[in-house]
Amino acid sequence: MTCLEVRELLPEMSIGVLPEPERERLGRHLQWCAGCRKEAGDLDQAAATLAFALPPAAPPADLEERVVAGVRRTAGAPVTRRRARTVAAGLVAAAIAFASLGWGAVMAGRADRFAVRAEQAERQQAAAIEQFRRIYANVIPGRDLPDNETHIGQLTPVAAGTGGGFVLQLVSPTVLDFSMVIVNGLHESDRLPLRVQLLNRDGSVLRAGQITGLNANGGADVYHQFKTQDLAGFTRVRVVDDQGQVVLAGTVDQSA
Amino acid sequence: MTKAPRQAPGAAAGVYLEGDRVSNRPEGPLLAREEQQLVEGLLAGNEDAVRALYARYARPIFTLGLRLLGSAEAAEELTQDVFLAAWRKAARFDPARGRLSTWLMTIAHNLAVDRLRRETGVTRPHLVLVDEVPEVGWVDEEEPVIERDAAIRALESLSDAEKRLLGRAYFGGLTAREIAESDGIPLGTVKTRLRTALIKVRRANQDKERP
Repeated sequence: MTCLEVRELLPEMSIGVLPEPERERLGRHLQWCAGCRKEAGDLDQAAATLAFALPPAAPPADLEERVVAGVRRTAGAPVTRRRARTVAAGLVAAAIAFASLGWGAVMAGRADRFAVRAEQAERQQAAAIEQFRRIYANVIPGRDLPDNETHIGQLTPVAAGTGGGFVLQLVSPTVLDFSMVIVNGLHESDRLPLRVQLLNRDGSVLRAGQITGLNANGGADVYHQFKTQDLAGFTRVRVVDDQGQVVLAGTVDQSA
Repeated sequence: MTKAPRQAPGAAAGVYLEGDRVSNRPEGPLLAREEQQLVEGLLAGNEDAVRALYARYARPIFTLGLRLLGSAEAAEELTQDVFLAAWRKAARFDPARGRLSTWLMTIAHNLAVDRLRRETGVTRPHLVLVDEVPEVGWVDEEEPVIERDAAIRALESLSDAEKRLLGRAYFGGLTAREIAESDGIPLGTVKTRLRTALIKVRRANQDKERP
């Protein structure tokens, strides 16, 4: 793809309407071409101007607290001493083999340099994907997990809850779809059994497994293979307790 | 940790980090260094940094979600998703390549458009609401965001036809080809007009470059 061809497509890219094949090719070009990347940045800024010019609507008053709590828990920042200890212990001992990833140091606040935290975040996600890959290999021996059909999302607590986790999905046109949920830092007070649900836009709910017990650190993992169901569009994930209360929630980015 | 104080109405929402704390700066857009510090604070889960980012950008993100997705519930989910996505992508933010506001709004727009694509099962964004960019002249919000004032000024550089064209693509999700087929004009003409309109906005934006 030449710079001339790229420049022709950049406006649609910045506006967000460039179809996927061209989007991907253009993305590859931008990785190495500084000139086109600069042009793309300028056009992105121009496109974002449209959003900033909208007459503002006020978000609900409680949204700030939900956003702050979600980010802090996802980032592993301590909320209270008790909660931080629980989450740290859960993460260290959860089904994912996090022991080698330095989580203890992160949770203790000793690894607060930007680069270190960035690396830890990347590795946390990579470890979850690797765990997914290992379990999938056990379920379907001899078949690799296709990267472009594997999607990940994060689970965060609802309201004043604790814990967190990941959800991973294989959404494939050629093999049975598969999901795995990894949780940690939960309490027995979350009223077992916990049910994992996948939801789509139409409100359809799929059962994706049940957690009947937590390990000492509030961790568990659940995986489920869907014999007939296509998981495409089932991007919202909830972990609910036996009273139907949502304990953890998250969204899978199936476009990634 | 204390909640970052909001700006008084009429003041610019300038905030910056001093060590682990977020302070108010009297006026003006964020410096590149301040943007980098806020993103570092976000990645570390620094409460003041998250609140500072929320104070500046939650409203436009929520507004965009409302416009594209059509419901307050969906806009709330989008706002939460944007901040979590920003945390995940924080290590890739480079202030030398673009403003923090652009980065966040690009994340928000992409998430909203992707959600529409997934939920409507179409290969392009679904046309949800009116296809025009907003009218100029809204100034009575309680907590003005400096980006909005500049955005309105930048859009004044466009003709009405250019505003409609950009709005059909950005808010309506129509590709250049679909606009060309709908209006019965050559594809190249639509692409040229889109590019011309964006470049006009970009030039206008350059007048408000960071100090």
